[in-house]
Amino acid sequence: MKKSPLAVLTSAALALPAFAATQPSETSISVKASHYKEEDIAASDVLLGSNERYDIDVYQFQLTTPVGADWSLDVNVNREIMSGASPWGTISDFATGEPTLIMSGATISDQRTEVSATVSRYFTDSSASVTLSHSDEDDYEAKAIAIGGEWNFMDDMATLAVGASYSSDDITPTDALMFGRVTDEEKRSRSFSVSWTHILDRTSLVQLGASITDRDGYLSDPYKIRDTRPDNRLEKTFSAKYRKYFGGPGAAMHLDYRYFRDDFGIRSHTLDFAWHQQFGDRFRVIPGIRYYSQEEADFYLPADSFLIPLDQYQSSDFRLSSYGAWAFSIKGVVNLDDWTLDLSYERYISAGDYGLDEPEFEHPALLEFDFVTLGVSYRF
Amino acid sequence: MKKIILMVLTLAFTAGCETVKPWERDILAQPGMQIEADPLDAQLASQVYDSKEASSGGNSPAGGGCGCN
Repeated sequence: MKKSPLAVLTSAALALPAFAATQPSETSISVKASHYKEEDIAASDVLLGSNERYDIDVYQFQLTTPVGADWSLDVNVNREIMSGASPWGTISDFATGEPTLIMSGATISDQRTEVSATVSRYFTDSSASVTLSHSDEDDYEAKAIAIGGEWNFMDDMATLAVGASYSSDDITPTDALMFGRVTDEEKRSRSFSVSWTHILDRTSLVQLGASITDRDGYLSDPYKIRDTRPDNRLEKTFSAKYRKYFGGPGAAMHLDYRYFRDDFGIRSHTLDFAWHQQFGDRFRVIPGIRYYSQEEADFYLPADSFLIPLDQYQSSDFRLSSYGAWAFSIKGVVNLDDWTLDLSYERYISAGDYGLDEPEFEHPALLEFDFVTLGVSYRF
Repeated sequence: MKKIILMVLTLAFTAGCETVKPWERDILAQPGMQIEADPLDAQLASQVYDSKEASSGGNSPAGGGCGCN
C-alpha cells in the first residue's frame, strides 16, 4: 500500500528519538556500481615504468533489516577490481633538483572483497551493536571487530555515541622474492571514538566527535624502493558536523570539518560542504565541495636518497608530502515510492600550492581522479 | 579541568537550544538532514580518501585496512 509523504515523514519523525541508531522500520536493499579513474602522470615526470595510474570498478551491496521487535541486521559486501600502475620511488633530477618518478609497470591487477555484518540491539533510550568484517585481496587480508553503544539524553535531544574497534591485518606482497620485498608482515589497529549529537532547534543539529587510533606492526609501503616508517603510529581526530534546513529554498546544508594529527608529524584540515536541494517530493540535487590540506611527515623526502641507511625512517610516498586538494561533486537522487535511484560524479584535483603548507618541491605523483557512481535502493 | 570543559560544553549546548518534541521533528527526519545522508556513499568516500591521503578517521572507530595504493 502506498504511503503518503506526510505519513512517511510523521512515522519517521516519531521513530526518531534523536539521532541515535533507531531500529529500521523496514527492510532495504541497496546496490551501487562505481568507476574510479586516476589521470595519467605527465610522461616528462616519469623516469622509469608506466605513466598510467589506477582504474577501479567498485560494486557495493547492502542489506538492512529489522529482526523481531528490538534487533536489526546490516550486511555489506564490497567488491573492487583494480588495475594500473603505482609509484615505486622518486629520483632527484640532476639539473633542477625536482623529483622524477620510478613507476611500476602497468600490469598490476588485483581484486578485493570485503564482507561485514552488524547486529544491533535497541533499548528504550539506547542501542548497542557488534560488527565483524573481513577484507581479502592478493597481498592483504584484514580482520576487524567493532562494538558501539548509543545513549539518548535530555528528552531525546542529544545522543552520546561510543565505539571501539580492533583490526588485525596480514601483508603478503606479490613478487616478494623477485624484488627483495618483505614476505609476510602484520599490522594491528586499535581505535576508539566518541561523538555527541545535539538537536539545536526544529531545523538544525550539530555533532562533535573525537577519535584516537593506535597502529603498530609493519606500517611501511612494501612496494616502495626505499620506505622505512616507524612501527607505531598514534592518530587523533577532532570533527564537527552541522546540518541546517532552509525553508525558503527547501534545502539542507551540510558543513563538516575534521582536524587530524599523528605522531608521524602529519597535520591536516578537511572541510566539506554540501547543499541538499529538494525539488518536490521526488527529486534532490546535491552539489558539494571538499577542501583538504596536509603537512608532510617528519621523515618525508621529496626524492629517495641511497645514502641514507634503510634502518633510518624515510619515505618519498606522495601521500606523506605537503599538499592540498579540492573535490567538486554533484549528485542527483530520485525517489519513486519504494525505490530510490541516484547518480553522482566527483572530480578530485591536488597540488602542492593548494595546501596551507606549500612544499619546496611538489610531488609529481599527486592525484587527479574522476569518480562516477550509480545506485539503486528498494525498501519493503 | 575535564569537569570544567564538560560544564562549558553542556552550557554551550543547552543555552542556545529549544526543546523539540518528537512530533516537531519532521524536518530533522528528512533524508537530507541526516548526519550521513547516504551511508554507502560515505563508506566508499572514506575508503578512497583514507587510502589516497595521509589522514583517516572521524566520528566512528577505524575499520580494517586495505593494501590500496
